Amino acid sequence: MVPFSESVRDYVRAQPDAAGRLAALERFGALGLPTASEEVWRYAPLDAFDLERYVLATAAPTTLATSLADALASVAATTIRLGDGFVLDGGRPVPGVDVSWLPAPVGPDLDFYASDAFSLLNAAVTPGVTTITVRSGVEVLGPLVIACAAGATASFPRVHVVVEPGARAVVIEAYEGGHESLVDMVGEYDIGAGAALTLVAYQRLDHSAWHIARTTARLDRDARLNHAVVGLGARYDRSRNDAVMLGSGAENVLRTTFFGSGDQVHDFRTRQYHVAARTRSTLLSKGAVADEARSVYTGLIEIEHGARRTDARQTNHNLLLSPQAHADSVPNLEIRENDVVCAHASSVGPLDEIQRWYLESRGVPRREAQRLMIRGFFLEMLDALPPAVAELLTRDVDAALGALEVAG
Amino acid sequence: MSVLTIQGLRVAVGGREVVRGLDLTMRSGEVHVIMGPNGSGKSTLAHALAGHPGYHVTGGTAEIDGVSLLDLSPTDRVRRGLFLALQQPIEVPGVRLADVLRAAGVEPRGLDARIRAEAERIGLRPDLLGRFMNVDLSGGERKRAEVVQFALLRPAFALFDEVDSGLDVDALGAVARRLAASSQEWGCGVLVITHFARLLHDLTPTAIHVVRGGQVVTTGGPELAAVLEREGYEPFGVPASDA
Repeated sequence: MVPFSESVRDYVRAQPDAAGRLAALERFGALGLPTASEEVWRYAPLDAFDLERYVLATAAPTTLATSLADALASVAATTIRLGDGFVLDGGRPVPGVDVSWLPAPVGPDLDFYASDAFSLLNAAVTPGVTTITVRSGVEVLGPLVIACAAGATASFPRVHVVVEPGARAVVIEAYEGGHESLVDMVGEYDIGAGAALTLVAYQRLDHSAWHIARTTARLDRDARLNHAVVGLGARYDRSRNDAVMLGSGAENVLRTTFFGSGDQVHDFRTRQYHVAARTRSTLLSKGAVADEARSVYTGLIEIEHGARRTDARQTNHNLLLSPQAHADSVPNLEIRENDVVCAHASSVGPLDEIQRWYLESRGVPRREAQRLMIRGFFLEMLDALPPAVAELLTRDVDAALGALEVAG
Repeated sequence: MSVLTIQGLRVAVGGREVVRGLDLTMRSGEVHVIMGPNGSGKSTLAHALAGHPGYHVTGGTAEIDGVSLLDLSPTDRVRRGLFLALQQPIEVPGVRLADVLRAAGVEPRGLDARIRAEAERIGLRPDLLGRFMNVDLSGGERKRAEVVQFALLRPAFALFDEVDSGLDVDALGAVARRLAASSQEWGCGVLVITHFARLLHDLTPTAIHVVRGGQVVTTGGPELAAVLEREGYEPFGVPASDA
């Protein structure tokens, strides 16, 4: 078997845009993979991680798990199917929406990821950037689905969504498959003045996979991003979601929800960066860990000097469903402006006893009451979606939570 | 025909005994009303019977047809036949009524239609029941949502803790008529805790119990409501243990 690093070099050299990719690869080589001694990686089971054992995806795979993609396709305006990051199906045309595949960013664009090894690696070997542009003033009714299926390899999907001024759209990214895989994803979202994007990242990869996602949203004046991140799968699920409020009046609502069982680790990181005045961010993270699973939530609210009358709120609730499960919650504030409202709250503990009793007193058995409440975390997030999509994903959450056992 | 028997019940909440030797017996199809001043132990009785974790039974018995409710889990108490409609129903984000009723064992076929019909019967907008339980509902809407749950669970006995507070006159009449009908429809025994005799315009009680100091101090017929409205609770004295 060809070692991963060798196959990466061969793949990159064979690409038409090899020069830029090699630059990214050099940066990746110089930086090296993170180690567990670095604070931001201390919860990752990096000791058990060996990049060299993965096989680089160099073409679209032939056999893939696509049950989630197939279901979503029935309710979507269009479904773009990616296999290990490669385009399998470009979807059907949607009026006012352009879909294209562009080369990965190079040179100065890479500086943004200078300290992020996995994002640099993604830039070097991604098959291309799946780019969706919703044209000015266009309102797309059905969801635009990007279905990412992973085979047994290392894959590097990359997505860029542009919502032009005044446009509105719902984008759903769904991840499935990926037995013994590494899925290293990078997403960028540009939301124009007065535009609105509802974005759902729904991850239910195989429990043996490593999922590493990094997303960055840039919001112009009065833009709105309603973002939901759902983590059900993967052995190690790392999801970093940043939003930069560049224009005044921009608003980011971010909700993250995860469920961990076995020895899963869900590692959620967020950064709400307020640059302009009168911007708002609301973050709600709710998750549950059972068995020996653990979760990490690290959230940073950063408010720039001059971002007057900013309103930023973070709430993080972690449920512990077994004595061996563990949750860490680390909210951070960096504020360089006085005229702002900031709040954060976090809790770690068992299920709300009174809510549980209320359901029991309606005749629901305790175990079932607990399952309904945990499922409720996910249903709350899906509530903003078109009903057909919410219904479908609810069924999928039910399947994922089916075997849920709660101690106590 | 079933019988609910409460004998010498004592309940402590926050380390203080609030219900102190309460006796009450009622049968299927009867309507009983508990009236009493604030702090007399009415709501404590209700929560304790439903197995609320903050209320501790320190003595006495509560049985349906000889089966002790106090030994059962909250789930089994309602399945055995005692339902509590709360004074302040609890918000459960992410959980919907239909899912709760299915999990409680209610016949799933045609459930949505039955929920809608029961809501309309008491003047509650049915779409409100598609929301997460009690989230973004007004006080009066929550009370009526409890009545819808009651109607679908069809318990042998049901306890309504101040079901009338937060309801306007029309809603109050509709709810009272719904409770009255339940005793005909499935022989439900209805136990109502209230401050207001107005509820009794459309719901004729079999018995009215005046509770003071955690005990029943007087039991009478429907005529007792008028006396209470005129003279208040003072003439009914306090339990011997407080005198």
